[in-house]
Amino acid sequence: MMANRLQSAVPLMMILPGLLLAVAIIGYPIIDLGWTSMQDVSRFGKLSGFNGGENFALVFSDPLFWESLWRTGIWTGAVVVGTLAISMPVALILNDDFYGRGLARVIIMLPWAISLTMTAVVWRWALNGRSGLLNATLMNAGIITEPIEWLATAGTAFAIEIMVGILVSIPFTTTILLGGLSAMPQDAYEAAEVDGASGWNKFRFITLPLMKPFINIAIILNVIYVFNSLPIIWVMTEGGPANGTDILVTYLYKLAFRFGQLGAAAAISLVMFFMLLAFTILYVVLVSRNDRDDAAPDAEVPDDK
Amino acid sequence: MTRRLQTTTAVLALTLGTLGFAPAVFSETVVDFTVAEYSSKTGPYFQGVADAFQAANPDIKINIQVVPWDTLLQRLTTDVAGGTSPDISIIGTRWLLDFASQGIAEPIDGYLTPEFKGSFIDTFMQPGLIDGKIMGLPVAASARAMMVNMDLYEKAGATPPTTWDELYEASKKIAALPDTFAFGLQGKEIETDAYFYYALWTQGGDILKADGTSGLDTPEAMAAINLYKKMIDEGLTQPSPTNYTREDVFNLFKQGTVGTIFTFPMLIPQIKAEAPNLKYQILPFPEGKAKATYGVTDTLMMFADSDVKEAAWKFIEFAYQDEYRAAFDKGEGFLPVTKNVAAEDYFTKDPDVAGFAAGLPYAKFAPVIANWEEIADVTVRTLQKIYLGEVSTEEGMKGAAAEINKIRGL
Repeated sequence: MMANRLQSAVPLMMILPGLLLAVAIIGYPIIDLGWTSMQDVSRFGKLSGFNGGENFALVFSDPLFWESLWRTGIWTGAVVVGTLAISMPVALILNDDFYGRGLARVIIMLPWAISLTMTAVVWRWALNGRSGLLNATLMNAGIITEPIEWLATAGTAFAIEIMVGILVSIPFTTTILLGGLSAMPQDAYEAAEVDGASGWNKFRFITLPLMKPFINIAIILNVIYVFNSLPIIWVMTEGGPANGTDILVTYLYKLAFRFGQLGAAAAISLVMFFMLLAFTILYVVLVSRNDRDDAAPDAEVPDDK
Repeated sequence: MTRRLQTTTAVLALTLGTLGFAPAVFSETVVDFTVAEYSSKTGPYFQGVADAFQAANPDIKINIQVVPWDTLLQRLTTDVAGGTSPDISIIGTRWLLDFASQGIAEPIDGYLTPEFKGSFIDTFMQPGLIDGKIMGLPVAASARAMMVNMDLYEKAGATPPTTWDELYEASKKIAALPDTFAFGLQGKEIETDAYFYYALWTQGGDILKADGTSGLDTPEAMAAINLYKKMIDEGLTQPSPTNYTREDVFNLFKQGTVGTIFTFPMLIPQIKAEAPNLKYQILPFPEGKAKATYGVTDTLMMFADSDVKEAAWKFIEFAYQDEYRAAFDKGEGFLPVTKNVAAEDYFTKDPDVAGFAAGLPYAKFAPVIANWEEIADVTVRTLQKIYLGEVSTEEGMKGAAAEINKIRGL
């Protein structure tokens, strides 16, 4: 009995140091943020007494918050879906053995080595209406006759920022998927080939189900990174023109460091944190429930009745 | 045993005493000075001044931190919040009220001798005056003016304008030239609002009315914005101003494709280096009902919680000697803030510098009010919507004025 209990405590003890570290590093700022978000805060971070939910009320009554929230959804959804849609075929191709595969892998990974800010700066230059490379190229190729001001209106600017977002997320996602593909058991494919399965069917019924855990982790991590990503939008448009490309994190940055409303900014940070937390928990629950359904449908039948 | 203990204690006390005493003898007072980076010359310039000061005052060390303008406010905010603020810093004067009202800025009346105070040009001391106390010294100043490309004006057969009507007529002629834009209009990022204030002021309006409410819904403001909008719609500006930052507009001018821009003195060294053959002229802003220019100052501020105010002030007085001020103003392309430097030939005879300095007697400054950055942001957002055609000028300006009044609590 005693030994048993000790045995079951061992794993807990082993993750304890890591857990404590995580609580100290992640938990402390969150608690501090929660504390700050409920007080009057001067623009230099001096707390001057509780004001109840005033900061939250201020944030929730601000139409710019809701517009930014809506755009954050579009931004995150579009970038994550776009990234996966491109990374999957890229990973499949890179998993095949072909001449120059090593070089191709390096080229796909290269953008990872460049900071987001640098990438965004380069794109900002390339998209410049009069002296940008993109317009020059398109005009030389005869595709357009007049230069296009890509970042002048919110619509085109946001679409381009999403594309840049996808571009910079591809290396990371491809790496995860490639890792999954190289761990894939080959005998399933051989069996399928014997049975005469087509390439699409092999992908649909073997690759995709086996890749599920890797796709899921890619989705969760990308959602967290993209949702919180400041540099691309900040460098290219600063959320403009007319707040048309503001997402929550750029709006938050303006509130905190331009307008000096640290209380409201703390409130938004907290809201963002809980949204991500809720998403992650919900997603993990949904996925694991699905897995159980897939894996052992019979086992659950008696419970239902 | 007791004796030994006594000896040990004595030795220990002596050692500690020496240790505690020694640093006091050899210690130097360290003054932390945060410098805003105006150009690549700023850091080396201030380091040079600091070295000269340290040579004269070996007991004081000046520790210079150069911070880019874009991140300066964020940096100071986090420094103050974390209790590690510098002793002195260059700041944008528009932030001074926030620093002063939070008790972060130290009033300097007690340090400022009458002679030292008298060496400054009075106009530039005004923005640093808050509730009757001087909260900082002007450290850099510039005024804005109109710059025209003389080649384009000649080619189009137009004369440089003195009024808004003339600017409009001349612009129509210049826009008819191939591959040429008549008027460079900024519509993106920092100072997009300033580009509008030039017109607002010269039309006779102001950012705030006498009663403190927003001046954006006045007939003068409407005259200013309607003319800008008309020029956009008639193709007299470069297309899509909302994609053009200040630097983008200036770059078009350097390339010789824009007839008229509104600009600051710092552009002159750039033109001399990058487009030496450009024939330009500095002129006052076009007039509507009033003469005006935008005067901008930066402030040298002392922090209230500094422990070394005496030493810091000693350095400030040192750095404001004429030779250093002249080198700074010339190197960065600023207008002088002290009378002696302003009297130097360079600043009175040079047509470029004199062109900018001419506006100083009637210069307007950004109002020193709380939440200024937020008000500027509302203005920029509204201007962008109007330039893009998302709202009418009337509706946009009325909405902006209402929003600003709300922020002001009026």
